[in-house]
Amino acid sequence: MTKNKNGQIDHSRRAALRMIAAGGVAGLIAPNLLGKPAFAQTPPAAPTGRIIVGLSQEPTVFHPLMAHIEVDDGVNFSMFDALFRITPEGEIVPNLTTEVPSLENGGISEDGLNWRIKLRDDVRWHDGTAFSADDVKYTLELITNPDFRAWRTTGHALVRDITVVSPTELTWRMEEAFAPYLSFLTETFMVPKHILEAQADMNEGAFHQAPIGTGAFKWGRRIAGDRLELVANPDYFGEGPYIEQLVFKYIPDMTVLYTQFRSGDIDVVGQSYLTPDNYAEAKDLPDRVVTLVPKASVESIYFNLDLPQFQDLAVREALYAAIDRMAIIDALNYGVPRETETFMPTQSYFYNPDLPKHEFDLDRARQLLDDAGWVPGADGIRAKDGVRLSFKNSTTSGAHLREQAQQFIQQTYAEIGVEMLIENLPSAVMWGDFWVRSQFETAMVGITYLIGSDPDVTNRFHTKAIVAKGGSGSNNAQYSNPEVDALLEEGARTFDPEKRKDIYLQVQEIIRRDLPFMPLFANTSVYGIKKGVEGFTANANTRTESWHAAGWYWA
Amino acid sequence: MTAITAARSPSHWWQSRVMRRFMSHKLALFGLVMISLLTLACVVGPWLLPYDMLFIDLRARFAPPFTGNHYLGTDPLGRDIAARLLMAGRVSLLVGFIAMALAILVGTLVGVIAGYRGGWINAVLMRTVDGFLSFPSIFLLLALSAALKPSPMMITVIIALTGWMEVARIVEAEVRSLKEREFILAGRMLGLGRAHIMFRELLPNVMGPIIVAATLTVARAILLEAYVSFLGFGIQPPLPSWGNMLNGAQQYLAGAPWLAIIPGAAITVAVASFNFIGDGLRDALDVRSDTV
Amino acid sequence: MTAFLLKRVLQSLVLLVIVSIIGFAVLNLIPGGPMAQYALDPGMTQDDMDRLAEQLGLNRPIWVQYFDWAWRMLQGDWGTSFRDGNPVTTVIGRHVFATFLLMGSSTVIAVAIGTWIGIRGATHRYSIFDYAATIGAMVALSIPTFWFGLIGIYVFSLKLGWLPAGSMYTIGDGSVLNYLHHLIMPSTVLALVHIAIWSRFMRASTLDAISQEFVKTARAKGLSERRVIMKHVVGNALLPMITLAGVQLPSILTGALVTETVFTWPGMGRLFLDSLGYSDYPVVMGLLMFSAILTILGNLIADIVVALVDPRIRLA
Repeated sequence: MTKNKNGQIDHSRRAALRMIAAGGVAGLIAPNLLGKPAFAQTPPAAPTGRIIVGLSQEPTVFHPLMAHIEVDDGVNFSMFDALFRITPEGEIVPNLTTEVPSLENGGISEDGLNWRIKLRDDVRWHDGTAFSADDVKYTLELITNPDFRAWRTTGHALVRDITVVSPTELTWRMEEAFAPYLSFLTETFMVPKHILEAQADMNEGAFHQAPIGTGAFKWGRRIAGDRLELVANPDYFGEGPYIEQLVFKYIPDMTVLYTQFRSGDIDVVGQSYLTPDNYAEAKDLPDRVVTLVPKASVESIYFNLDLPQFQDLAVREALYAAIDRMAIIDALNYGVPRETETFMPTQSYFYNPDLPKHEFDLDRARQLLDDAGWVPGADGIRAKDGVRLSFKNSTTSGAHLREQAQQFIQQTYAEIGVEMLIENLPSAVMWGDFWVRSQFETAMVGITYLIGSDPDVTNRFHTKAIVAKGGSGSNNAQYSNPEVDALLEEGARTFDPEKRKDIYLQVQEIIRRDLPFMPLFANTSVYGIKKGVEGFTANANTRTESWHAAGWYWA
Repeated sequence: MTAITAARSPSHWWQSRVMRRFMSHKLALFGLVMISLLTLACVVGPWLLPYDMLFIDLRARFAPPFTGNHYLGTDPLGRDIAARLLMAGRVSLLVGFIAMALAILVGTLVGVIAGYRGGWINAVLMRTVDGFLSFPSIFLLLALSAALKPSPMMITVIIALTGWMEVARIVEAEVRSLKEREFILAGRMLGLGRAHIMFRELLPNVMGPIIVAATLTVARAILLEAYVSFLGFGIQPPLPSWGNMLNGAQQYLAGAPWLAIIPGAAITVAVASFNFIGDGLRDALDVRSDTV
Repeated sequence: MTAFLLKRVLQSLVLLVIVSIIGFAVLNLIPGGPMAQYALDPGMTQDDMDRLAEQLGLNRPIWVQYFDWAWRMLQGDWGTSFRDGNPVTTVIGRHVFATFLLMGSSTVIAVAIGTWIGIRGATHRYSIFDYAATIGAMVALSIPTFWFGLIGIYVFSLKLGWLPAGSMYTIGDGSVLNYLHHLIMPSTVLALVHIAIWSRFMRASTLDAISQEFVKTARAKGLSERRVIMKHVVGNALLPMITLAGVQLPSILTGALVTETVFTWPGMGRLFLDSLGYSDYPVVMGLLMFSAILTILGNLIADIVVALVDPRIRLA
C-alpha cells in the first residue's frame, strides 16, 4: 500500500484490526485474491498496456468536490488523492499525509476538537506544481463556500480556523467532536489552489472538463457518451501506475455490458456490474474471473412509520415474517445476494452477527396479526379500528428485478389478508420529495448507510433527521427512538473503535427489534475481470471498483 | 339542410358503395378479421386458459413455449405468458382506442374551429399545431412520462397529446376548402349559428378523412405505448401491457428470447391490422392522403 | 423570394418560442427534480440538497426561470448542465456526430432501396412485386423499431455472432471498417420504416410522372423504355420527394433516438434519456430546441430547394 503506512497506526487501532481479521471477515476479504494465480506476479517496471472498465452510467462530473454520483467516484479515485485512504479491511491509512491523526499520536486533541495534519513533501500536481498545505486549506474552504455547488458538507461545516503551519503541516479546530470526519476525509479529494483560483467561475471552467489532480492517472481525453481515457502519471508519489492507459467505457445497457465482457471488449466490469441472471453463465467463462463481492448497500422495504397501520410493531413483524426472502434471493436474484438483519454491511468491523434471524412463516404472521387484533374484514383484508391493512409499495419504475420482487411479495401478502398495491414512479419523482419528505407508504430501496467505513448513521435514524417533521437528514422512515438518538450522539463523539463498536452493536439490536425497515438482503455485486488483470482488489468501503486502479497491471 | 346529406345515402348502409369497396379490399378485410379475433381473444381468452395470469410460481419460471399447458411459455415469475399476453392486449388495445378517441376529439375540434373561423384564431391554433409538430414527439412523450405519475389514464392522455396534430391539420385543410362551398354559404344565408354550421354541416363532410386518420392513430398509439412501457415509463406492473412485457426482456434475451419475441409479434399483428384497415378505408372513402 | 424567406423565418421564430414554452412548462411543472439523484447518497443531507437547489436557481418562480432562460438563449447562451456544469452546447455538440452518422447512413440505405422499390413498383404496376412491396411496406410500418432491433440483436449478435450488439466502435480500433461493422444493424433497423415510406411515395410520384405529357412525347420519339424511365421519369419523380425528405426529418430523428436506446449508440437519444433520468433540465431543453430548429430548418430548406429547382412552383 502506501509507502509510509507502517508504524503510523496506533495500538488500539491495531488491536481492532486484529479483531477484524479474526472475526468472520476473512472470507469476505477473499476478493482480494481475484485473479491471482498460485505463483507470485510482479508489476512491470514501466507502465504498460491498457485496461478498459465498462460502466453502465456515464461519469460526467470531474470536479471531485461538486455534487456527483457513484460512477464519478471511480474517475476521482484515479485522478485525485484524498488525505487518507481506506483499505478493503476498513483501515484508514495515510495517502497525501504521513500519518493518520489520532488521540494517541496527538494529531487529534483529547476533546476531539483540535486536528493536526502532516503532509507528504514529495507530491506534485499533474502540471508539476508542488502540492502543499495551502491546497488542503483551499479545498476545505471551497467545500463550505456558499457559492460553490459542493457535494456533501457534513463534517466540513464543523471545521474552523484552518491554519497553514508550514507547507507540509496544517491545523484546524472542530466546532464539535465528530469522529466520522476521518472517514469522510477519505472521500474528500484535494484540488489545486493555483489552478482553481485563476479560474473565473468556481462552478464551471476548463478544470471541470479536464481536471488536474495528484493521482496515479492524468487526464487523457473524453469522448462524451462513449468513453473517458486517462493516462499514466509517471511521477506519481505512491504505488503504480502500472498501466499506460485507463479507459472508462460507458455501456448503458446491462446485456451489452455483459456481451462485451464475454467477447473481451472490456477488461473490468464496473458499476453496476454484471446482472445476477448472468452470474451462472459468466462464472464458467474461460479466461474470465467472476466473483461475488459484498457491497455496502442493503436492499430493504421501508415503512413510513407515520401511517397508522405501521405504528403497530406486530404489523411490521408479521409483514417481515411473511416475506419469502430466500425465494427472492435464490430464484429472482440467482442466489447472488446474502441474507442480513441489519443496515450495517456484513463485512464491517461494526457488524452485529447475533441479531435474531428472519424466518419465513405465514402461520406466525397470521398469528401475530390475529393477536394484535387485525382481523379480516368482508373483503378479506385485515383491519383494526377502521384502519385497513392495505398500503402502496413504490420504487423506481422500470427496475424489473425489484418489480418482480414486489409482485412476488404482493401475492404472499394477499395470502395473509394484507393488501399491497404497487405504485412505481419515475426516478426523478420517486426520489424527489416523495421519498425525501416521506410521502410514500412503503418503498423498496437499496441504501448505503456508511460513509467510508464509519458506522455513524445519525443521518438515517436520529429523530432530528426526519425531514417531514422539519429535521435535516435522511430519516425517511420517520423512525424515532430516544434510546437510539442517545446512542448515536454518543457514537459520533467517541473516537475509540472498541467503545464505538459496543454502541453500534446496540443500535443495530434496537433497530432490528423496531423494524423501521425490512431488510431483504445485503447487496452483492458480480464482479468480472479478464484473466491476466492483476492487482485488482474490491473495496466495499468505497463506492467504486476503481478505487485503486494505480495498483492494476497485466500479468 | 337535411337535403344536403340525404343525397348520398342509399337504402341500407351495408349496400353502400363505400361498404362494397371496403369489402373488396382483401388486406383491409384481413386486418378487420385479425383485429376482431384479437379483440375477442383478449376479452374472453383469459377465462378460457387454464392458468391464472397473475399466479406467481417461481418453480415454473422461464419455461419455454409448449411446456405442458404453457403454450407460450412462462415469464421470470413463472406466470403463463399466453394468459398475460391476452390480459396485456386488453390494456394495450384499450389505451390505443381511448388515446385515438381523445386525439381525434381534440384534433377535430381544433381543425374545424381553425378552418372555419380563419384569421387570428386560425393563426394561433395552427401555429400551436406546428409547434407541437416541430420537435420529435417522442421527446415530449418521454419528458412527460418520465415526469408524471404513470397511471394507465395518464399514459393514454400523454399519447393522445402527442397525436392530435396530424388530425387537426387534415381537418383544417378540408374545412378550409369546404367552407366557401355553396351549401355552407347557403346555410350562412339562412342564418344558421356558427356552431351549427361547424358541427352539423361541415363535420359530417370531413368524416371520411377523420375515420381514416382514426384507424392510423390507433396503430400509432399502440406503438407509442409499447415503446414508452418498454423503457419502463409507461404502464406499470402488475398491470401487464404488450410494452411492459418487453421491459426487461432485453436482459433475458440470450436465455429466454420468447419473452421478447411473443409480445412484439402481438404488437406487430395488431398494428399491421389497423394499418391495413386504414388503407382499405382510404380507398373506400376516396380520401386523398398525404401520409402513407 | 426575399419576402417569402422573411415570412418563413419569422414564422419559424414564433414556432421556436411556442416550442420553448411547451417544453419548459412540461419540465418544470413536475414534482421531484434534479436533486432526486442525491437522495440516496449517505452523506448528503436535506440542507445540502436545498443549498444546491438554491444555487441552481430552482427555487425561483417558474416564469422567472423561463424568462431568465429565454433571455440568455436570445444572447446565444444555452445554459449549463446541472449535472456537470458544462455548457449545454458543448454537451449536445459531443453527441451530435453519432446521431447524424446513424441518420445519414440509414437515409442513404432508405433512399437507395426505397427509390428502387418505388420505381419498380410503378413500372410494374399490379405485378406480384408491386403487391409484395405494398404489403411489405405496411408491415414494416407496423413493426416497433425497438423490437425489431432486439430481434436483430438476438439473431445476429447472440446467436450468429456476426454483428456487435451495441456501441459505435471497438476501443483501440477506430478504422472505418470497424465503424461500418457497428453501423450495419442500427442503420438497417432505422432504415426499415423509411424504406417503406420512401418507396410508397416514390411509387406514387413515379406514376404521376409516367402519365405526364413529356413522357408520352419521349416514348413517341422512339426512346427505349429504360431510357425514358431513367431520363425523364425518375428526375421528375424525385422532385416532389425533396419536400418529403424535409418533412421526414423529425421522423428520422425520432427513429434514431429510439434505435439509439436499443443499440447503446452514443448519440442524442442516449443523452436525452440520461438527462431526463438526472432531471438535467438545461440539457433536455437544449435538445428540444435543437431538434425543433433542425426540423424547422429541414422544412425551410426543402421549400427553398423546391422553389429553386422548379420555378413553376409559386412561392406562397
